[in-house]
Amino acid sequence: MLALAATAAHAAEPAAVAWWVWPLALFVVTFLLGIVAVLGGVGGGVLFVPIVGGFFPFHLDFVRGAGLMLALSGALSAGPGLLRSGMASLRLAMPLALIGSIASIGGAMVGLALPTNVVQTALGAVILMIVVLMWRAKKSERPEVAQPDRLGAALRMNGIFHDAASREEIDWRVHRTPLGLVMFAGIGFMAGMFGLGAGWANVPVLNLLMGAPLKVSVSTSSFLLSIIDTSAAWVYLNRGAMLAMLTAPSILGVMLGARIGGKLLRTAKAATVRRIVIGLLLVAGARALLKGLGIWN
Amino acid sequence: MTQRDYASEEQRLYARWLDYGTRIGFVVLVATFLAYVFQLVPPAIDFDDLPKYWSLPVNEYLAATGAPTGWGWVRRLGSGDYLNFLGVAVLGGVTIVCYLRLLPALLSKGERVFAIICAIEIVVLAVAAAGIVGSGH
Repeated sequence: MLALAATAAHAAEPAAVAWWVWPLALFVVTFLLGIVAVLGGVGGGVLFVPIVGGFFPFHLDFVRGAGLMLALSGALSAGPGLLRSGMASLRLAMPLALIGSIASIGGAMVGLALPTNVVQTALGAVILMIVVLMWRAKKSERPEVAQPDRLGAALRMNGIFHDAASREEIDWRVHRTPLGLVMFAGIGFMAGMFGLGAGWANVPVLNLLMGAPLKVSVSTSSFLLSIIDTSAAWVYLNRGAMLAMLTAPSILGVMLGARIGGKLLRTAKAATVRRIVIGLLLVAGARALLKGLGIWN
Repeated sequence: MTQRDYASEEQRLYARWLDYGTRIGFVVLVATFLAYVFQLVPPAIDFDDLPKYWSLPVNEYLAATGAPTGWGWVRRLGSGDYLNFLGVAVLGGVTIVCYLRLLPALLSKGERVFAIICAIEIVVLAVAAAGIVGSGH
Protein backbone atom coordinates (compact mmCIF):
# COMPACT_ATOMS: atom_id res chain seq x y z
CA MET A 1 0.00 0.00 0.00
CA LEU A 2 2.81 2.39 0.93
CA ALA A 3 4.69 1.27 -2.18
CA LEU A 4 1.64 2.05 -4.31
CA ALA A 5 1.34 5.49 -2.74
CA ALA A 6 5.08 6.15 -3.05
CA THR A 7 5.14 5.00 -6.69
CA ALA A 8 2.25 7.30 -7.49
CA ALA A 9 3.97 10.15 -5.68
CA HIS A 10 7.27 9.73 -7.48
CA ALA A 11 5.92 8.75 -10.88
CA ALA A 12 6.24 12.29 -12.13
CA GLU A 13 5.84 15.90 -11.12
CA PRO A 14 2.24 16.57 -10.07
CA ALA A 15 1.72 18.98 -12.94
CA ALA A 16 2.87 16.36 -15.49
CA VAL A 17 0.36 13.76 -14.31
CA ALA A 18 -3.24 13.88 -15.48
CA TRP A 19 -5.38 15.29 -12.66
CA TRP A 20 -7.56 12.18 -12.41
CA VAL A 21 -4.62 9.92 -11.52
CA TRP A 22 -4.46 11.34 -7.99
CA PRO A 23 -8.10 10.94 -6.94
CA LEU A 24 -8.08 7.48 -8.52
CA ALA A 25 -4.87 6.50 -6.66
CA LEU A 26 -6.38 8.01 -3.52
CA PHE A 27 -9.53 5.93 -3.93
CA VAL A 28 -7.48 2.72 -4.35
CA VAL A 29 -5.21 3.48 -1.37
CA THR A 30 -8.13 4.49 0.89
CA PHE A 31 -10.04 1.38 -0.17
CA LEU A 32 -7.07 -0.73 1.01
CA LEU A 33 -6.78 1.41 4.15
CA GLY A 34 -10.46 0.77 4.87
CA ILE A 35 -9.88 -3.00 4.75
CA VAL A 36 -6.76 -2.86 6.92
CA ALA A 37 -8.32 -0.41 9.40
CA VAL A 38 -11.28 -2.68 10.11
CA LEU A 39 -9.12 -5.79 10.35
CA GLY A 40 -6.62 -3.98 12.58
CA GLY A 41 -9.30 -2.45 14.80
CA VAL A 42 -8.21 1.15 14.21
CA GLY A 43 -10.03 4.13 12.71
CA GLY A 44 -9.25 5.06 9.11
CA GLY A 45 -8.08 8.56 10.05
CA VAL A 46 -5.03 7.45 11.99
CA LEU A 47 -3.71 5.61 8.92
CA PHE A 48 -5.02 8.09 6.34
CA VAL A 49 -3.39 11.32 7.55
CA PRO A 50 0.25 10.14 7.83
CA ILE A 51 0.10 7.94 4.69
CA VAL A 52 -1.69 10.38 2.37
CA GLY A 53 0.10 13.37 3.97
CA GLY A 54 3.46 11.66 3.46
CA PHE A 55 3.12 10.10 0.03
CA PHE A 56 0.58 12.17 -1.93
CA PRO A 57 1.03 15.71 -3.29
CA PHE A 58 -1.89 17.18 -1.30
CA HIS A 59 -0.96 19.73 1.37
CA LEU A 60 -1.23 18.54 4.96
CA ASP A 61 -3.91 21.18 5.71
CA PHE A 62 -6.31 19.51 3.25
CA VAL A 63 -5.27 16.00 4.26
CA ARG A 64 -6.12 16.74 7.91
CA GLY A 65 -9.50 18.19 6.89
CA ALA A 66 -10.23 15.06 4.85
CA GLY A 67 -8.93 12.85 7.68
CA LEU A 68 -11.47 14.38 10.07
CA MET A 69 -14.31 13.89 7.59
CA LEU A 70 -13.19 10.30 7.09
CA ALA A 71 -13.20 9.57 10.83
CA LEU A 72 -16.50 11.43 11.20
CA SER A 73 -18.18 9.47 8.38
CA GLY A 74 -17.14 6.13 9.84
CA ALA A 75 -18.33 7.13 13.31
CA LEU A 76 -21.66 8.46 12.01
CA SER A 77 -22.39 5.23 10.12
CA ALA A 78 -21.52 3.01 13.07
CA GLY A 79 -23.34 5.19 15.64
CA PRO A 80 -26.99 4.17 15.19
CA GLY A 81 -26.32 0.43 15.51
CA LEU A 82 -24.03 0.86 18.51
CA LEU A 83 -26.53 3.09 20.32
CA ARG A 84 -29.53 0.84 19.61
CA SER A 85 -27.72 -2.26 20.84
CA GLY A 86 -26.84 -0.54 24.11
CA MET A 87 -23.13 -1.19 23.53
CA ALA A 88 -22.41 2.54 23.21
CA SER A 89 -23.58 4.69 26.10
CA LEU A 90 -24.99 8.16 25.56
CA ARG A 91 -24.66 8.94 29.29
CA LEU A 92 -20.98 8.00 29.27
CA ALA A 93 -20.29 9.83 26.02
CA MET A 94 -22.04 13.19 26.52
CA PRO A 95 -19.86 14.76 29.26
CA LEU A 96 -16.64 13.47 27.65
CA ALA A 97 -17.76 14.61 24.19
CA LEU A 98 -18.45 18.12 25.45
CA ILE A 99 -14.91 18.54 26.77
CA GLY A 100 -13.45 16.80 23.70
CA SER A 101 -15.36 18.89 21.17
CA ILE A 102 -14.37 22.20 22.82
CA ALA A 103 -10.72 21.05 22.84
CA SER A 104 -10.89 19.84 19.23
CA ILE A 105 -11.88 23.34 18.07
CA GLY A 106 -8.76 24.66 19.83
CA GLY A 107 -6.65 21.90 18.30
CA ALA A 108 -7.93 22.61 14.79
CA MET A 109 -7.23 26.34 15.15
CA VAL A 110 -3.71 25.74 16.48
CA GLY A 111 -3.00 23.15 13.77
CA LEU A 112 -4.06 25.54 11.01
CA ALA A 113 -2.05 28.42 12.53
CA LEU A 114 1.25 26.59 12.99
CA PRO A 115 3.85 26.26 10.20
CA THR A 116 3.46 23.04 8.18
CA ASN A 117 6.85 21.61 9.16
CA VAL A 118 6.01 21.97 12.87
CA VAL A 119 2.65 20.18 12.42
CA GLN A 120 4.30 17.52 10.23
CA THR A 121 7.04 16.89 12.80
CA ALA A 122 4.55 16.74 15.68
CA LEU A 123 2.33 14.43 13.61
CA GLY A 124 5.26 12.08 13.06
CA ALA A 125 6.05 12.07 16.77
CA VAL A 126 2.40 11.39 17.69
CA ILE A 127 2.12 8.54 15.14
CA LEU A 128 5.29 6.93 16.50
CA MET A 129 3.87 7.32 20.02
CA ILE A 130 0.69 5.56 18.83
CA VAL A 131 2.87 2.71 17.48
CA VAL A 132 4.41 2.27 20.94
CA LEU A 133 0.95 2.49 22.55
CA MET A 134 -0.49 -0.13 20.18
CA TRP A 135 2.51 -2.41 20.65
CA ARG A 136 2.46 -2.30 24.44
CA ALA A 137 -1.13 -1.48 25.38
CA LYS A 138 -3.01 -4.01 27.42
CA LYS A 139 -6.77 -4.41 27.30
CA SER A 140 -9.09 -5.42 30.05
CA GLU A 141 -12.29 -7.21 29.01
CA ARG A 142 -14.05 -6.31 32.28
CA PRO A 143 -12.06 -3.96 34.52
CA GLU A 144 -12.81 -4.09 38.25
CA VAL A 145 -14.51 -0.90 39.48
CA ALA A 146 -15.11 -1.42 43.18
CA GLN A 147 -16.50 2.03 43.84
CA PRO A 148 -17.59 4.64 41.26
CA ASP A 149 -16.21 8.14 41.87
CA ARG A 150 -18.58 10.87 43.03
CA LEU A 151 -18.81 12.67 39.68
CA GLY A 152 -19.36 9.45 37.73
CA ALA A 153 -22.02 8.39 40.21
CA ALA A 154 -23.73 11.81 40.13
CA LEU A 155 -23.84 11.71 36.33
CA ARG A 156 -24.98 8.07 36.48
CA MET A 157 -22.28 7.02 34.04
CA ASN A 158 -23.18 3.36 34.31
CA GLY A 159 -25.30 0.78 32.55
CA ILE A 160 -26.03 -2.82 31.68
CA PHE A 161 -25.31 -4.46 28.35
CA HIS A 162 -25.83 -7.90 26.97
CA ASP A 163 -22.62 -9.59 25.85
CA ALA A 164 -23.67 -11.85 22.98
CA ALA A 165 -20.35 -13.75 23.09
CA SER A 166 -20.65 -14.83 26.74
CA ARG A 167 -24.48 -14.56 26.80
CA GLU A 168 -24.23 -12.59 30.02
CA GLU A 169 -25.66 -9.33 31.26
CA ILE A 170 -22.80 -7.10 32.30
CA ASP A 171 -23.35 -4.38 34.86
CA TRP A 172 -20.76 -1.62 34.52
CA ARG A 173 -19.82 1.70 36.10
CA VAL A 174 -16.81 4.01 35.84
CA HIS A 175 -14.28 5.61 38.16
CA ARG A 176 -11.63 8.35 37.86
CA THR A 177 -14.13 10.49 35.89
CA PRO A 178 -12.37 13.86 36.54
CA LEU A 179 -9.07 12.48 35.21
CA GLY A 180 -10.97 10.97 32.26
CA LEU A 181 -12.37 14.41 31.43
CA VAL A 182 -8.87 15.92 31.50
CA MET A 183 -7.60 13.15 29.22
CA PHE A 184 -10.47 13.78 26.77
CA ALA A 185 -9.49 17.44 26.58
CA GLY A 186 -6.05 16.29 25.40
CA ILE A 187 -7.51 13.71 23.03
CA GLY A 188 -9.90 16.26 21.50
CA PHE A 189 -7.06 18.74 21.01
CA MET A 190 -4.93 16.18 19.16
CA ALA A 191 -7.89 15.00 17.07
CA GLY A 192 -8.51 18.57 15.90
CA MET A 193 -4.87 19.43 15.40
CA PHE A 194 -3.87 16.35 13.39
CA GLY A 195 -7.23 15.24 11.91
CA LEU A 196 -6.57 11.74 13.17
CA GLY A 197 -9.84 10.72 14.75
CA ALA A 198 -8.95 9.47 18.20
CA GLY A 199 -10.11 5.89 18.72
CA TRP A 200 -6.52 4.90 19.49
CA ALA A 201 -6.64 7.10 22.60
CA ASN A 202 -10.36 6.93 23.51
CA VAL A 203 -10.39 3.19 24.09
CA PRO A 204 -7.46 3.01 26.56
CA VAL A 205 -8.84 5.97 28.54
CA LEU A 206 -12.38 4.55 28.72
CA ASN A 207 -11.24 0.98 29.36
CA LEU A 208 -8.02 1.12 31.37
CA LEU A 209 -8.39 4.48 33.12
CA MET A 210 -12.14 4.82 33.68
CA GLY A 211 -12.88 1.11 33.95
CA ALA A 212 -15.61 0.70 31.31
CA PRO A 213 -15.81 -2.84 29.84
CA LEU A 214 -13.84 -3.24 26.59
CA LYS A 215 -16.91 -3.61 24.35
CA VAL A 216 -18.58 -0.55 25.89
CA SER A 217 -15.29 1.37 25.51
CA VAL A 218 -14.83 0.48 21.83
CA SER A 219 -18.48 1.24 20.97
CA THR A 220 -18.67 4.47 22.98
CA SER A 221 -15.32 5.58 21.52
CA SER A 222 -16.71 5.25 18.01
CA PHE A 223 -19.82 7.22 18.93
CA LEU A 224 -17.69 9.89 20.70
CA LEU A 225 -15.76 10.50 17.47
CA SER A 226 -18.98 11.50 15.74
CA ILE A 227 -19.30 14.42 18.19
CA ILE A 228 -15.66 15.39 18.79
CA ASP A 229 -14.72 15.33 15.10
CA THR A 230 -17.81 17.32 14.09
CA SER A 231 -16.64 20.53 15.76
CA ALA A 232 -13.09 20.27 14.36
CA ALA A 233 -14.39 19.39 10.86
CA TRP A 234 -16.42 22.63 10.84
CA VAL A 235 -13.28 24.64 11.65
CA TYR A 236 -11.47 23.08 8.67
CA LEU A 237 -14.47 23.65 6.37
CA ASN A 238 -14.85 27.26 7.50
CA ARG A 239 -11.13 27.91 7.00
CA GLY A 240 -11.35 26.61 3.44
CA ALA A 241 -9.18 23.56 4.26
CA MET A 242 -11.48 21.10 2.54
CA LEU A 243 -11.05 19.92 -1.07
CA ALA A 244 -13.89 18.02 -2.71
CA MET A 245 -11.46 16.10 -4.94
CA LEU A 246 -9.63 14.83 -1.86
CA THR A 247 -12.45 14.39 0.65
CA ALA A 248 -15.16 12.58 -1.34
CA PRO A 249 -13.02 9.81 -2.96
CA SER A 250 -11.33 9.19 0.39
CA ILE A 251 -14.62 8.78 2.26
CA LEU A 252 -16.04 6.51 -0.45
CA GLY A 253 -12.82 4.44 -0.65
CA VAL A 254 -12.59 3.88 3.08
CA MET A 255 -16.30 3.10 3.46
CA LEU A 256 -16.20 0.50 0.68
CA GLY A 257 -12.94 -0.96 2.03
CA ALA A 258 -14.43 -1.16 5.53
CA ARG A 259 -17.33 -3.23 4.17
CA ILE A 260 -14.91 -5.71 2.57
CA GLY A 261 -12.79 -5.65 5.74
CA GLY A 262 -15.86 -6.50 7.80
CA LYS A 263 -16.45 -9.58 5.63
CA LEU A 264 -12.80 -10.67 5.89
CA LEU A 265 -12.83 -10.23 9.66
CA ARG A 266 -13.93 -13.80 10.35
CA THR A 267 -11.05 -15.38 8.45
CA ALA A 268 -8.21 -12.87 8.91
CA LYS A 269 -5.46 -13.57 11.43
CA ALA A 270 -5.74 -10.77 13.97
CA ALA A 271 -2.09 -10.89 15.05
CA THR A 272 -0.80 -10.65 11.46
CA VAL A 273 -3.10 -7.74 10.61
CA ARG A 274 -2.08 -5.96 13.80
CA ARG A 275 1.58 -6.27 12.80
CA ILE A 276 0.76 -4.88 9.34
CA VAL A 277 -1.04 -1.88 10.88
CA ILE A 278 1.84 -1.21 13.26
CA GLY A 279 4.32 -1.55 10.37
CA LEU A 280 2.33 0.90 8.21
CA LEU A 281 2.12 3.39 11.06
CA LEU A 282 5.83 3.03 11.77
CA VAL A 283 6.83 3.84 8.18
CA ALA A 284 4.21 6.61 7.81
CA GLY A 285 5.15 8.12 11.19
CA ALA A 286 8.86 8.06 10.37
CA ARG A 287 8.13 9.62 6.97
CA ALA A 288 6.07 12.42 8.58
CA LEU A 289 8.77 13.08 11.18
CA LEU A 290 11.61 13.14 8.64
CA LYS A 291 9.57 15.24 6.18
CA GLY A 292 8.80 17.72 8.95
CA LEU A 293 12.47 17.94 9.90
CA GLY A 294 13.40 18.45 6.24
CA ILE A 295 15.44 15.22 6.10
CA TRP A 296 13.20 13.23 3.68
CA ASN A 297 11.27 15.47 1.29
CA MET B 1 -35.49 -9.23 27.38
CA THR B 2 -34.56 -8.20 23.86
CA GLN B 3 -31.24 -6.54 23.16
CA ARG B 4 -33.08 -3.36 22.18
CA ASP B 5 -34.20 -2.87 25.77
CA TYR B 6 -30.64 -2.21 26.91
CA ALA B 7 -30.68 1.21 25.23
CA SER B 8 -32.56 4.04 26.93
CA GLU B 9 -35.45 5.78 25.21
CA GLU B 10 -33.31 8.91 24.58
CA GLN B 11 -30.51 6.78 23.18
CA ARG B 12 -32.88 5.10 20.70
CA LEU B 13 -34.28 8.49 19.73
CA TYR B 14 -30.78 9.83 19.09
CA ALA B 15 -29.93 6.68 17.08
CA ARG B 16 -33.01 7.09 14.88
CA TRP B 17 -32.20 10.69 13.96
CA LEU B 18 -28.51 9.89 13.51
CA ASP B 19 -29.42 7.09 11.13
CA TYR B 20 -31.69 9.26 8.96
CA GLY B 21 -29.26 12.18 8.91
CA THR B 22 -26.24 10.06 8.04
CA ARG B 23 -28.08 8.33 5.19
CA ILE B 24 -29.15 11.69 3.75
CA GLY B 25 -25.58 13.01 4.12
CA PHE B 26 -24.04 10.10 2.22
CA VAL B 27 -26.59 10.28 -0.59
CA VAL B 28 -25.95 14.01 -0.99
CA LEU B 29 -22.15 13.50 -0.83
CA VAL B 30 -22.14 10.79 -3.50
CA ALA B 31 -24.65 12.56 -5.77
CA THR B 32 -22.83 15.91 -5.66
CA PHE B 33 -19.43 14.27 -6.16
CA LEU B 34 -20.68 12.43 -9.25
CA ALA B 35 -22.15 15.71 -10.57
CA TYR B 36 -18.77 17.36 -9.93
CA VAL B 37 -16.44 14.71 -11.30
CA PHE B 38 -18.52 14.11 -14.46
CA GLN B 39 -18.83 17.88 -14.87
CA LEU B 40 -22.62 17.84 -14.87
CA VAL B 41 -22.07 20.98 -12.80
CA PRO B 42 -18.97 22.86 -14.02
CA PRO B 43 -16.16 23.30 -11.45
CA ALA B 44 -14.89 26.70 -10.30
CA ILE B 45 -11.29 25.45 -10.64
CA ASP B 46 -10.55 23.61 -13.86
CA PHE B 47 -9.56 19.99 -13.23
CA ASP B 48 -6.29 20.39 -15.13
CA ASP B 49 -5.34 23.30 -12.86
CA LEU B 50 -6.14 21.49 -9.59
CA PRO B 51 -2.65 19.93 -9.15
CA LYS B 52 -1.15 23.45 -9.10
CA TYR B 53 -3.22 24.35 -6.06
CA TRP B 54 -3.75 21.28 -3.89
CA SER B 55 -0.15 21.19 -2.68
CA LEU B 56 -0.33 24.77 -1.35
CA PRO B 57 -0.96 25.60 2.32
CA VAL B 58 -4.56 26.66 2.82
CA ASN B 59 -3.79 30.40 3.09
CA GLU B 60 -1.86 30.40 -0.20
CA TYR B 61 -4.54 28.23 -1.82
CA LEU B 62 -7.23 30.73 -0.82
CA ALA B 63 -5.18 33.65 -2.12
CA ALA B 64 -4.37 31.90 -5.40
CA THR B 65 -7.88 30.64 -6.18
CA GLY B 66 -10.07 33.23 -4.50
CA ALA B 67 -11.85 30.37 -2.72
CA PRO B 68 -14.25 31.53 0.00
CA THR B 69 -13.99 30.90 3.74
CA GLY B 70 -16.83 30.45 6.24
CA TRP B 71 -20.18 29.87 4.58
CA GLY B 72 -19.07 31.72 1.43
CA TRP B 73 -19.25 28.40 -0.45
CA VAL B 74 -23.07 28.56 -0.30
CA ARG B 75 -23.03 31.48 -2.74
CA ARG B 76 -21.03 29.31 -5.15
CA LEU B 77 -23.20 26.21 -5.17
CA GLY B 78 -23.45 26.61 -8.94
CA SER B 79 -19.87 25.27 -9.12
CA GLY B 80 -19.34 21.52 -8.79
CA ASP B 81 -16.48 21.79 -6.27
CA TYR B 82 -18.55 23.87 -3.85
CA LEU B 83 -21.75 21.92 -4.49
CA ASN B 84 -19.85 18.98 -2.99
CA PHE B 85 -19.65 20.82 0.34
CA LEU B 86 -23.40 20.28 0.74
CA GLY B 87 -22.77 16.63 1.61
CA VAL B 88 -19.95 17.60 3.98
CA ALA B 89 -22.21 20.17 5.65
CA VAL B 90 -25.06 17.65 6.07
CA LEU B 91 -22.66 15.14 7.67
CA GLY B 92 -21.28 17.93 9.88
CA GLY B 93 -24.78 19.02 10.84
CA VAL B 94 -26.23 15.61 11.76
CA THR B 95 -24.90 15.65 15.33
CA ILE B 96 -26.27 19.16 15.95
CA VAL B 97 -29.73 18.08 14.77
CA CYS B 98 -29.56 14.96 16.97
CA TYR B 99 -28.68 17.06 20.02
CA LEU B 100 -31.49 19.52 19.22
CA ARG B 101 -33.93 16.59 19.13
CA LEU B 102 -32.45 15.14 22.33
CA LEU B 103 -32.77 18.33 24.40
CA PRO B 104 -36.59 18.36 24.82
CA ALA B 105 -36.56 14.61 25.50
CA LEU B 106 -34.07 15.11 28.35
CA LEU B 107 -36.04 18.06 29.75
CA SER B 108 -39.30 16.12 29.69
CA LYS B 109 -37.66 13.34 31.70
CA GLY B 110 -36.32 15.81 34.26
CA GLU B 111 -32.68 15.11 33.34
CA ARG B 112 -31.59 18.65 34.13
CA VAL B 113 -27.81 18.08 34.29
CA PHE B 114 -27.74 16.21 30.98
CA ALA B 115 -30.08 18.79 29.44
CA ILE B 116 -27.54 21.48 30.38
CA ILE B 117 -24.67 19.41 28.95
CA CYS B 118 -26.76 18.90 25.80
CA ALA B 119 -27.53 22.64 25.51
CA ILE B 120 -23.86 23.61 25.94
CA GLU B 121 -22.83 21.04 23.31
CA ILE B 122 -25.37 22.52 20.88
CA VAL B 123 -23.86 25.98 21.46
CA VAL B 124 -20.29 24.65 20.99
CA LEU B 125 -21.15 22.85 17.74
CA ALA B 126 -23.21 25.80 16.48
CA VAL B 127 -20.34 28.20 17.20
CA ALA B 128 -17.95 25.92 15.28
CA ALA B 129 -20.41 25.49 12.41
CA ALA B 130 -21.20 29.19 12.18
CA GLY B 131 -17.51 29.97 11.80
CA ILE B 132 -17.58 32.26 14.85
CA VAL B 133 -14.29 30.68 15.89
CA GLY B 134 -11.67 29.55 13.47
CA SER B 135 -13.04 30.88 10.18
CA GLY B 136 -10.29 33.51 9.96
CA HIS B 137 -9.52 35.62 6.91
